[in-house]
Amino acid sequence: MSRLEVYSPEGLRMDGRRWNELRRFETSINTHSHASDGSSYLEQGNNKIITLVKGPTEPTLRSQLDQTKATLQITVNLTKFSKFERSKTTGSTKNERRILEIQTALVRTFEKNLMLNLYPRTIIDIEIHVLQQDGGVLGTLINGITLACIDAGIAMYDYISGVSIGLYDTTPLLDVNSLEEAAMSCVTLGVMGKSEKLSLLQVEDKLPLDRLENVLAIGIAGAHRIRDLMDEALRNHAQKRISNASNK
Amino acid sequence: MSTKVVVPRKKRLSEGLTVTQKVFIRSRNGGATKIIREHYLRNDIPCLSKSCTKCQSIVVPDAKNELPKFILSENPQVIANIGKHYVVVDTNIVLLAIDLLENISCFFDVIVPQIVLDEVRNRSYPVYTRLRTLCRDSDDTKRFIVFHNEFNEKTFVDRLPDETINDRNDRAIRKTCEWYAQHLKDYGINIVLVTNDRLNREAVKKESKEQGYFTKSLYEYADLLSNADEIKELIPNVDNYAESKELLPEDKSEVVFPEYYQTSRVMGGLRSGVLYQGNVQISEYNFLEGSVSLPRFSKPVLIVGQKNLNRAFNGDQVVVELLPESEWKAPSSLTLDSEHFDINDNPDGQGEEDEFNRNGAEAVISDKQRRLLAKEAINAQKSKKVQPTAKIVSITRRSWRQYVGQIAPSSVDDKTNGIQNVFVILMDKCLPKIRIRTRRAQELLGKRIVISVDSWPENYKYPLGHFVRDLGDVESTQAETEALLLEHDVEYRPFSKKVLECLPSEGHNWKAPVKLDDPEEISKDPLLPKRQDLRDKLICSIDPPGCVDIDDALHAKKLPNGNWEVGVHIADVTHFVKTGTALDAEGASRGTSVYLVDKRIDMLPMLLGTDLCSLKPYVDRFAFSVLWELDDNADIVNVNFTKSVIKSREAFSYEQAQLRIDDPNQTDELTLGMRALLQLSIKLKQKRLDAGALNLASPEVKVHMDSETADPGEVEIKKLLATNSLVEEFMLLANISVARKIYDAFPQTAMLRRHAASPSTNFEVLNEMLQKRKNMHISLESSKALADSLDRCIDPEDAYFNTLVRIMSTRCMMAAQYFFSGAYSYPDFRHYGLAVDIYTHFTSPIRRYCDVVAHRQLAGAIGYEPLSLDHRDKHKMDMICRNINRKHRNAQFAGRASIEYYVGQVMRNNESIETGYVIKVFNNGIVVLVPKFGVEGLIRIENLTDSAEDAVFDELEFKLSFKPKTGDKVRDVHVFEKVDVQVRSVLDPITSKRKAELLLV
Repeated sequence: MSRLEVYSPEGLRMDGRRWNELRRFETSINTHSHASDGSSYLEQGNNKIITLVKGPTEPTLRSQLDQTKATLQITVNLTKFSKFERSKTTGSTKNERRILEIQTALVRTFEKNLMLNLYPRTIIDIEIHVLQQDGGVLGTLINGITLACIDAGIAMYDYISGVSIGLYDTTPLLDVNSLEEAAMSCVTLGVMGKSEKLSLLQVEDKLPLDRLENVLAIGIAGAHRIRDLMDEALRNHAQKRISNASNK
Repeated sequence: MSTKVVVPRKKRLSEGLTVTQKVFIRSRNGGATKIIREHYLRNDIPCLSKSCTKCQSIVVPDAKNELPKFILSENPQVIANIGKHYVVVDTNIVLLAIDLLENISCFFDVIVPQIVLDEVRNRSYPVYTRLRTLCRDSDDTKRFIVFHNEFNEKTFVDRLPDETINDRNDRAIRKTCEWYAQHLKDYGINIVLVTNDRLNREAVKKESKEQGYFTKSLYEYADLLSNADEIKELIPNVDNYAESKELLPEDKSEVVFPEYYQTSRVMGGLRSGVLYQGNVQISEYNFLEGSVSLPRFSKPVLIVGQKNLNRAFNGDQVVVELLPESEWKAPSSLTLDSEHFDINDNPDGQGEEDEFNRNGAEAVISDKQRRLLAKEAINAQKSKKVQPTAKIVSITRRSWRQYVGQIAPSSVDDKTNGIQNVFVILMDKCLPKIRIRTRRAQELLGKRIVISVDSWPENYKYPLGHFVRDLGDVESTQAETEALLLEHDVEYRPFSKKVLECLPSEGHNWKAPVKLDDPEEISKDPLLPKRQDLRDKLICSIDPPGCVDIDDALHAKKLPNGNWEVGVHIADVTHFVKTGTALDAEGASRGTSVYLVDKRIDMLPMLLGTDLCSLKPYVDRFAFSVLWELDDNADIVNVNFTKSVIKSREAFSYEQAQLRIDDPNQTDELTLGMRALLQLSIKLKQKRLDAGALNLASPEVKVHMDSETADPGEVEIKKLLATNSLVEEFMLLANISVARKIYDAFPQTAMLRRHAASPSTNFEVLNEMLQKRKNMHISLESSKALADSLDRCIDPEDAYFNTLVRIMSTRCMMAAQYFFSGAYSYPDFRHYGLAVDIYTHFTSPIRRYCDVVAHRQLAGAIGYEPLSLDHRDKHKMDMICRNINRKHRNAQFAGRASIEYYVGQVMRNNESIETGYVIKVFNNGIVVLVPKFGVEGLIRIENLTDSAEDAVFDELEFKLSFKPKTGDKVRDVHVFEKVDVQVRSVLDPITSKRKAELLLV
C-alpha cells in the first residue's frame, strides 16, 4: 500500500484531486415517493446510497413508544455487492457489530438535530441502502439522511453535512476515497450548517493531537461546501416541484 | 485481460475539473475483479518550463501554500540537428539506464510523464525511488520534472477498444510529447522522445508527419551529444546486443541454462507446496554452491552446481524445486572461487556445454511424488548426513546493484583498439564474472571499476553488464576506500544542500541558553521550560582517545540517604533533528555512521556530530538524561528521564580516566564520583554475568597510522581497560531502562533490539570438532549454560585456545537485530547475549539512527513533546527497522574490510612467521587464523604438497593428511591445531586483490 503515491510531491492525489478538493457530489431528491415519506439518492464520488425516511408514524411495537418525543430508528444496509469483492459472509449482516456502531453513531448525530419533541408517541424510521462504497461512507450517510429528512418535512434545526478527512504525513486530505482511507488515519466529521459545531467526530485511528486542529479546519470548510451543494440541490428540486404544482 | 473497453462517461464538474472513471480488471489468486476508480482531469497542471508564459497563471498552491517551482531551463542543451530541446523519457529507458540519467554529463531538462513513473514503480521500486530522488534534488543542474499527464485533461487518453494497456500507455506518452511540442513551439524548444521501443518510435512516424517532435533510441540520442563517445560507453549492454542481434549470428548459440518456469506455474507450485521461495546464499568458499533457508526445513536446502543455481546471484529471491533423492548430497568440502575458475574462458564465445548437459535428461515427477519427497527431505535433514538439494526454477527478485571489480587481464585482447568483450572479476567472490563491452579495455586494466549488471540471458554462460565509471588505480587508498564503501552500499557522498539547510542557522556559534526561563529563549523554543538544569552536576565523559563525537557523559553523587545518584547524559540529537525534515530522512537512510581505519562516514553532518550535539567539556550542551538512584549493591531504587542542559567538566580518554581513578592523591569530587561509578559498574557487570551474559570474542585488531604519512604502521590487538567496562555497563543500564519505559508507553511500536538464541544446528559442526579433538562440549540450554561451558573450554597448554573457541562460537550465533515491539511477542524480545528481557539502543544518537528513534519515543513517553506519527505507525517502523538492520550490517562489514585492507598493507612491508590455528579443514585446503593480525586465510592443497592426489581428507576426524613439500613423512593437520605459518601479503595477479597469503612452515 505504501508504495502508492498517495500525495505526490507535485501536490496531486491518487485520483487527480488536490488536497482540498471534494469528490463529485450529485444528488436527486424524492426518488421513492410511493415507498416513503422522504427519500434521496446521493452519489458522493463512487459512494452511492439510497435513503428512505418513513414517518413520523405510529410505532408497531409498544416499546418504541415514547410519551415525550419521537423515536428515531436508523437501519443501514451495506449491500454485499457494494465493494469490489463481493462480501462472502452468508446470512444477514444486519446485526454485525460494525453496522450497529454506524447506526448508533447516526442516531446520536441526528437525535439532537431533529426536533423530535414535536412528534411525541411516533417513530421516525430511516432506512439506508448503500449500493456502492468507496471510502468515507459515514459522511455520505449523514448527507443522505439530511437530504431525505428535509424531503420528508421533518422539523430540524439545520443541515448536517458529513465528510472524512485523512492525514497523510502532515498534509490533510479532504474527502478520502477507499484507497486513501486504507493508507492513512482518517477523521469523520458531522458539521451543523454553517457553524463550527460538530455533531459527530469519529476518529478510529491514531492521529497526532497537534495536527488535529489543522485537519478539523479543512474538514469544516469542506462540510460547509457540501452544505451549499445540498442546499442548491434542494432549492432546485423545490423550484421544480412548485412549478409542477402550479401547472396543474 | 479483457479487450472490450467501454469508454467511460465524462462529467464536467467545474471550470477545469472533469471526472471520469478508470475501469480495469485485476486478477488475484485466479479470480477476476473489476475495479472502478474515479479519475479527475484538470487544467491547472503546469509545464514547469521557465520560458513558458502561459502556465504561470494557472498554477495553484499546495497544502503548505507553496507554488510549484518552474524548473526546466529556458536555455536548454543544444544538440546536432535538433537544437534546443527537452527530453521525454520512456519507461524502458528509465529501467535500463537509470545510471545514465543520474550521470551529471548528460540528460538535462528531462520530462518524466506520470505514466512512465507509474510503470517504473510497478516494475522496480528501487529504480522508482532513484528517479524520484533525481527529480527532487536536481533543481539547478539536471532539471528533472514529473509531468502528470494522466491528470491533465489535454493529455489524457482513453483506452480504445481492442487496445492493449501497453499500447495505450505508449500512446499517452506520445500525446504528452505532442502537447509539449505544441505548447513550447513559440519558445523555440524542441521535444525529443527517447525510447528503445522500436514500435513506439515507428508509431510516432506513422501517426503523422506533423507532430512536431523528434524520437530517438538511447543509442541514437547519445550519438547526437557532444560527448558521445564517453556516453555511449555507459549504455547498458542488453541494448547493444539487441540492436546487433541480427548482425551476430554466432551469438545465438545453444541454450545452456534451463529456462525459468512461467509465472503461472510458479504461483501454482508455491500454493500447492511443491515449490518454495527463499533467498539464495552463495557459499563463501565455493561459488558454485548455494543454499536457501526455507521455513519448512530445519536446515538450509543445498543448491549445487551452475546449472541448478540457474543464473542466481548471491541474495536473490528465488523459487526452488527439490531434486530427486538420488541427487541429494552433503555440502561440498571443496573450495572454489569464481576468479580462479575457468580463467581461460573466452569472453566472446559461449561456454562449453560439457558440464551443462550432463544431467540434462530428467525424469518426470508428479506433484504428489514431490510432496512425498519434501517429507522425505525433512526427515533426511534430521537424521542423515546427506542433505536435500534443489534447483532454482525462477527468480522473483534480483539483488542486482552496482558492483566493483576489475578487468581480467587474460580476457583483454591488446591488439585491437575497438570495442571488445572483456570479463570483469568482482570484488565479491560469491559472484560470477561479468561480461562487458568496452573500447577502453586497455586503459582500464589495473583499475578498480564500477559496473552494472544488465541481464543474463539463458544462452550466455556469464551475465552481461556495462561499465559505469572507474575509481582509480588498484591499491591506491582512495580507490580502495571508495570501492569498499560502494561494495557495502554505504552512502558517502557529501550531504546535499537541502539537508544542510535544516541545520541551525547560527552554525558553530550556536549556544545553549544561559537561563532556561528567559522569555526570549522560550519564544524561540517553547519546550525550554521542560528542560532540567543539570549544569551544577560534576559530569565527565570517557571515550577512546581522539574521539570528537561524544555521545555520552556520566556523573555520580552520594545522596544523603547513602544511596548513589547516577546520571547518564546522552547528546540531545533530536533537538536538532526533527521528524519530517530532509535531515531526518538522510539520517534514516544512512542509518549509522561507518568507521573505517582512516575515515569516518557520518550519519549526521559534522556540525551536529562533532560540535552542537557532541557533549564537549567546558561548554553548555543539551542532553537527554537518565537519572537513577542506585543503592550500594547497584540495584535500581528509582529511575527518572529528563531532557536537560549540562556542562561536562572534563573529557577523558579511557587511559586518562584509569590513571585518575588509580591515583590516590586525587580526592576531588569528580574523581570520587568516577571511583564510585567504577565500583558500581563492577557490581553491575557481576550481576550481568551471573544472569548468564556472554563474554564473546572477535579477532579484532587496530591499525596504527603513521601520523605524518598516513601510512599504516603496525597492527595491535585491542586492549580493554576497566574504564571501558565502566562506560559500557552504564550504557547497558541506560539502554535497558529506556527500553522498558518506551515499551510501556508504546507497546506496539517501541524501537527495540533483540538477540535470538542460536539454534543448536548452528553449533553442530563446532561441537563435533570440539568433541572429536578436545573432548569438550558447548551446551546450549541457556545463555548461562553456554557462558559456563565456554569458560570450561580451556586448554592448559594454550591460553589462546579459549579465545579461539569464543571467536568460533560467535560466528555460530545469530545476529542481534532492531525491531519494533509489535513485531514479536514479549518473550521473544530477549537479548540472549546480554541476558536481559528487553533492550534497545539509546546511547549513541549521533552515530546510530535507532537511538534517534528511541530518543523521540522516550520524549513522547515522558510527555516532553508528542511523538510523530512516523514512529507510531507499525508499517513505517518496519521500514525503518529493515533499513537500519541492513545498514548496520553493511557498516560492520565495511569496517572489517577496511581493517583487512590495511592489515594487508602492513604485512606488505614485513613478512614473518607467526602462530596460527587451523579452524576449518577442506578436501583441498585448510583455513588458518592468525591471531596477531586477526587475518584468516585458506592454504590450498597445491601449496601444501606436490602430490595433491595423495592427500587424504578424513571428514569424521577433521583431518587432512598429505606429504609436505619438504620431507617425505606424511603430515596430518587437524582442526584446532596450532601451526606456524609464514605470513606475507601478495597481490593476486588475476583479481589484483591484496590478501594475506599463508604458508605452512
